[in-house]
Amino acid sequence: MTTHPEAGAGGSRISDWFEERLQARALFRALLHVRIPAQARTYYLGGITLFLFGVQVVTGTLLSLYYKPTPETAYDSVKYITSVVEFGWLIRSVHHWAANLMVICLVLHLARIFVQGAYKYPRELTWIVGVGLLAATIGFGFTGYLLPWDQRSFWATTVGTEIAGGVPVIGDALLQLLRGGRDVTDATLSRFFGMHILVLPLMIGAFLVIHLTIVHQLGLANPKRPEARPERASAALNGTVEKLKPFFPHYVLDEVIAWAAMLAVLVVLASVLPAGLEEKANPLETPAHVKPEWYFLSVYQLLKVVPRDVGIMAPMVAIVALGLLPFLDRNPEVRARKRPLALLIGVVAAVMTVGLSVWGYYS
Amino acid sequence: MTFLPRIADGATRLVRLMLLSAVLGLLGLALVEAVAAADPSAVPSPSPSILPDITAEPPSPSAEPADLPSPGASLSVAPQDTCYTCHSAIDNTQHDIAQKWKDSVHGRNGIGCASCHGGDPTSDEVTVAMSKAAGYIGKPDRTTTVGVCGNCHSDVERMRQYQLPTDQLVKYRTSVHGERLFGAQDTRVAICIDCHGVHDVKKASDPTAPVYPLNVPKLCASCHADTKLMEPYDIPTDQFEVYQASVHGKALLINQDMRAPTCASCHGSHGAKPPRSSEVVGVCGKCHTATQTLYEQSRHAKLTVGPKCWTCHGAHDVAQPDESRFFHPKPPEIDCTTCHNPSDRTLILNADRFSKDQDRRCDTCHHQGSILYSQAQGIYGSLDRANAAYQKAEGRIGEAAGAGMIVSDADVTLSQARTSLIRARAAVHTTKLTLVAALADEASAKAAEAQQFADTKLQQSVFRREAMVVVLGFILINILALLLLRRRIDHEDVSA
Repeated sequence: MTTHPEAGAGGSRISDWFEERLQARALFRALLHVRIPAQARTYYLGGITLFLFGVQVVTGTLLSLYYKPTPETAYDSVKYITSVVEFGWLIRSVHHWAANLMVICLVLHLARIFVQGAYKYPRELTWIVGVGLLAATIGFGFTGYLLPWDQRSFWATTVGTEIAGGVPVIGDALLQLLRGGRDVTDATLSRFFGMHILVLPLMIGAFLVIHLTIVHQLGLANPKRPEARPERASAALNGTVEKLKPFFPHYVLDEVIAWAAMLAVLVVLASVLPAGLEEKANPLETPAHVKPEWYFLSVYQLLKVVPRDVGIMAPMVAIVALGLLPFLDRNPEVRARKRPLALLIGVVAAVMTVGLSVWGYYS
Repeated sequence: MTFLPRIADGATRLVRLMLLSAVLGLLGLALVEAVAAADPSAVPSPSPSILPDITAEPPSPSAEPADLPSPGASLSVAPQDTCYTCHSAIDNTQHDIAQKWKDSVHGRNGIGCASCHGGDPTSDEVTVAMSKAAGYIGKPDRTTTVGVCGNCHSDVERMRQYQLPTDQLVKYRTSVHGERLFGAQDTRVAICIDCHGVHDVKKASDPTAPVYPLNVPKLCASCHADTKLMEPYDIPTDQFEVYQASVHGKALLINQDMRAPTCASCHGSHGAKPPRSSEVVGVCGKCHTATQTLYEQSRHAKLTVGPKCWTCHGAHDVAQPDESRFFHPKPPEIDCTTCHNPSDRTLILNADRFSKDQDRRCDTCHHQGSILYSQAQGIYGSLDRANAAYQKAEGRIGEAAGAGMIVSDADVTLSQARTSLIRARAAVHTTKLTLVAALADEASAKAAEAQQFADTKLQQSVFRREAMVVVLGFILINILALLLLRRRIDHEDVSA
């Protein structure tokens, strides 16, 4: 690749050989040589999340070479990966931490989009697909958590699926669907493994293609000015010309630097706090304090302080409302200081979620 | 013809004679009844099934079954229980009593008021239902109460359906409580209702029952910690306080560990009595079976008046034993006459129990310079080394686990070391140096192996951190190179 749009037209003999057969230069030019608003501030959160997903694909594939998804062998295979396989501990720890960081970056990315009003016209679909990506990522966390088949994973899954079982009307069927029976058994492990390595990757892959395609087609949003509708385009611009900058290599280079920094964070976390393993799962021995993974702690705590139906329905309503946000918030304004109500609701929701999570952690 | 009238006259005389006898008999009965009614002391006995002669010795196993009341005689499972109906409506107190009975194990099994109080629960006429003629005895006195309870609870036939033991009354007679009640007519001692409740008797397996194992220490303390109540008996009242702080008390009352002994485990419940010195090994050995076996191999067990469990461990104040139990921090002043005859120095062993914990040490009896003191030192040394090795290995494993390493291999080996150490400590009861030393050495070797595992893990952890620094260096160089490239591009943009 080259920084000059015209430089791509010619190259080495090998490059030319491929170009004659693939005709890909035009495609790459179209993908990379676009311009973005100079005022766009993404903080590279979406890109970092994508990077972490890539890390998960690589480390997950390596883990699947040794992992054995049955209750009799799962725990020992994870122990083997961590204790015996060369750098197995590193692969597993990176997978563990990248999963957590992926959820964090995705939520921060969502918060950035919300604050900058980037979900508004014409990016409603980008937002909806993004919420789908969030749901799929949480699904990854939920299904992956069970796979080590230790006490913590077994009982956290038991509690988590129990919550799903409380959904009005379809709760019982949902519980059976998730567990593959009444209890968390080998059937649960099989379907969680299947979901984790096949269903969810396909789903997230499809969502990603749609999400990135739309982002490419619409370009990055300007956080200072709403996107003008066609009929009002000339009036909205009011004679001013939007300042742009090249996506490649400027933005891409920044993104790669951010990825390298995230890789450094991953290496530190995996080396200093490697993924642990508790006692092997024992369905007959409930540990004293069973708690779900941190990103479910708010729901867990909510269930303890409000009536069961409310505790189960509230997060579901919240996620539907989140998906429909572009249609609920009709205000075309994108600047945060001009949207006090939306910002207040967002801050209250964030504080409540964090507060409930902290409360749940220490309860 | 003359024969028939003669027969007729004879028959007439016989009938007259019978009628006369019947009249006289009735008059006699009426007279006895009148005399009995005139004598207030001659209260008709309620029902032999309610008030058995409890002061008499219990019937021997060969006694005729006819001596026992029939099942239906006192278990008044009334089709219509007027006692409950009327007493529920009298006032709040009576209502509460009736309700307690209804919720009790007796109420739920249809054992009615009349079973203990007598009377006729089928009559709704108070003068009939609570008449002496119907066997009504009112509130039985404390001595009678034991008999009322024992009457049913010693009946094998009645208790079979509930799968309950029937030896409570027999045991109670042998207890300090029973001996004082029946022997000294001391009604202040505990009787059935003091522990089980009166109308609200619950199953012993009911966690809310006062006799549920977790509640037993407090139940016993309700009397035995009462200084005023215990004053006439001149017995200590600090047992509960001391027990609470003991290893047994903490296990039961704090950890809710039902395997831990309650007061009743050592003293008995219905047959409550302090175990004698000759019994204490058996009492402790009921739970500490393996330790008892080891103790019985020891020289101590072979002595006529040798040290028993409580000589070293105490009684209510049993603490978690450790190596500090061997010797005093400073050699104690030995009173030779504790163990030796002052005249010829032969062994007499006067020490059975030491009230102070600090006296429960080997060197209280085995004075410095003696062969047995050296043996105790040898045992102590082996255990101390094994314990030190175990502690060190445990610390290293903790460090490795703290560094995020998986230490299950080390944990398994350490648990083997722990097993050997426990066996070595238990072998102290044999007083055999060779056995203790062998087991302690085994524990030390296993602990060293566990530590080796942990050390390897810690080395791996150090390598990871060192490798991390190198990798971070590479990443940093890359970032710097990319930043330089970025700067050059910006510079080119400005130039352009």
